[in-house]
Amino acid sequence: MSVSSNIVDKLSELPPASSLALYVDVNTYFDALRAIVDIFATKNDLYVFYISSTIPSKNIVGLLEILGVDTSRVFFVDTISHLMANAGEMSDKFLYIESPTMLENVMLKIEYLLRKYNDKKAIVVLDSVNSMAIHNDLKILSEFLHIFVTSLRSWESYMVIISMKEQNSEEMMNMLNLICDDAYDAGGEEK
Amino acid sequence: MKYWLRKLDIWLRIYYFVMIATRERCKTGIEELDSILNGGIPRGNTVLVTGSCGTGKTTLSLEFLTRGALMGERSMYISVTEVPEKLIENMSTYEFFDKNLVKEKKLIFVDLQEIYVKLGLEKLEFTLEDVNILVEQIIKMVKELGIKRLVIDSITSICYRLTSREQIREFILQLGKALSDMGCTTLLVSELLPSAAGYSQYGVEEAIADGIILMGNLERRGDLLRTIQVIKMRGTTHSRAKYVLDLTPIGILLAPLLKGGSVEVR
Repeated sequence: MSVSSNIVDKLSELPPASSLALYVDVNTYFDALRAIVDIFATKNDLYVFYISSTIPSKNIVGLLEILGVDTSRVFFVDTISHLMANAGEMSDKFLYIESPTMLENVMLKIEYLLRKYNDKKAIVVLDSVNSMAIHNDLKILSEFLHIFVTSLRSWESYMVIISMKEQNSEEMMNMLNLICDDAYDAGGEEK
Repeated sequence: MKYWLRKLDIWLRIYYFVMIATRERCKTGIEELDSILNGGIPRGNTVLVTGSCGTGKTTLSLEFLTRGALMGERSMYISVTEVPEKLIENMSTYEFFDKNLVKEKKLIFVDLQEIYVKLGLEKLEFTLEDVNILVEQIIKMVKELGIKRLVIDSITSICYRLTSREQIREFILQLGKALSDMGCTTLLVSELLPSAAGYSQYGVEEAIADGIILMGNLERRGDLLRTIQVIKMRGTTHSRAKYVLDLTPIGILLAPLLKGGSVEVR
């Protein structure tokens, strides 16, 4: 079985409104993206609300297009482009936040998308918790994730929190275990 | 004797909670704010919406009126500082705003400067008589047009022309009482300097108003977050926590403020 299909199977096991901590490494990262954004979202007819804090959203779109993924159902909440003075024009497809420290605004932009595009259910992807941890201390990040995951439950949205195995700390794994309903290791190297 | 006093106290408490729970609400239409207010602003309240510039006071007030007009409550915006055409144009960026509400006079914009001209009040300082004339005119408009929601933006600009705290007190008291008797829920927009200590410029407005909604800016690591907090609201139980606010095309959205490491800027 491929990494992608394993991740899709894992997500399919979960009921709607579940949250999953997904541990990937650089080798399984793209398979994970394909599994969530393409296969699982298409199969379940879900919108994808993608919070990018590692790679600017425009670059992710480029990557997804190279992978042959249809990006029409994907909406980005981009927390990193502004920091790099690279933010484009704001649209529903690309919502920019000044910095990854504005955690409340991340929640608000996702709520905006959930309210506006409410004809289908959604899967919210946080890519990644490690880059969020660079800009925020773990205490406020835990608080944010706890409130965020709880509020997404009321929308019956899936939530996937991507965590890069090479950058994980014990505290972060404890936090994810506490917050998420389930965790899945997509394989690959640990630090 | 002690037993009866305790019993009376319990009954008074029950009566108070029943009164609060059953008082009719004026839904702001901003879902989270209504939830904070336990269903909305108690109908007929006069509420001070206060904060420094750029905190979203005018947008909140206009959304309150527009949502009300959409729910069938005729609403009026009295503008002191901006011309109505510009306000309507700014509102057009919001998806919930319908220009037909203005055409059909469900949402009415009034330029206070025109009223000043009409009443012969084009002066820098008002006398007590001028204050009475102005209050009577506003009440007359509310009565004749059947206004259920009113915004005065800003009350600070009007108070600027009043010469004493007593005049300001008289003006807000008279206006608030008359509007409340007509079942009109009113938002008084108040400008606040970032360095101000209280909740209003003259210190009188906050004491008289039935409610205070404080809007501000909060700095976190160089980022500025818009915040909102209900300081007081007579006639309802409410949350007093601070929330972060976002002005989106579908209206104002609120999220709880995360407690870690923020500095108040106002």
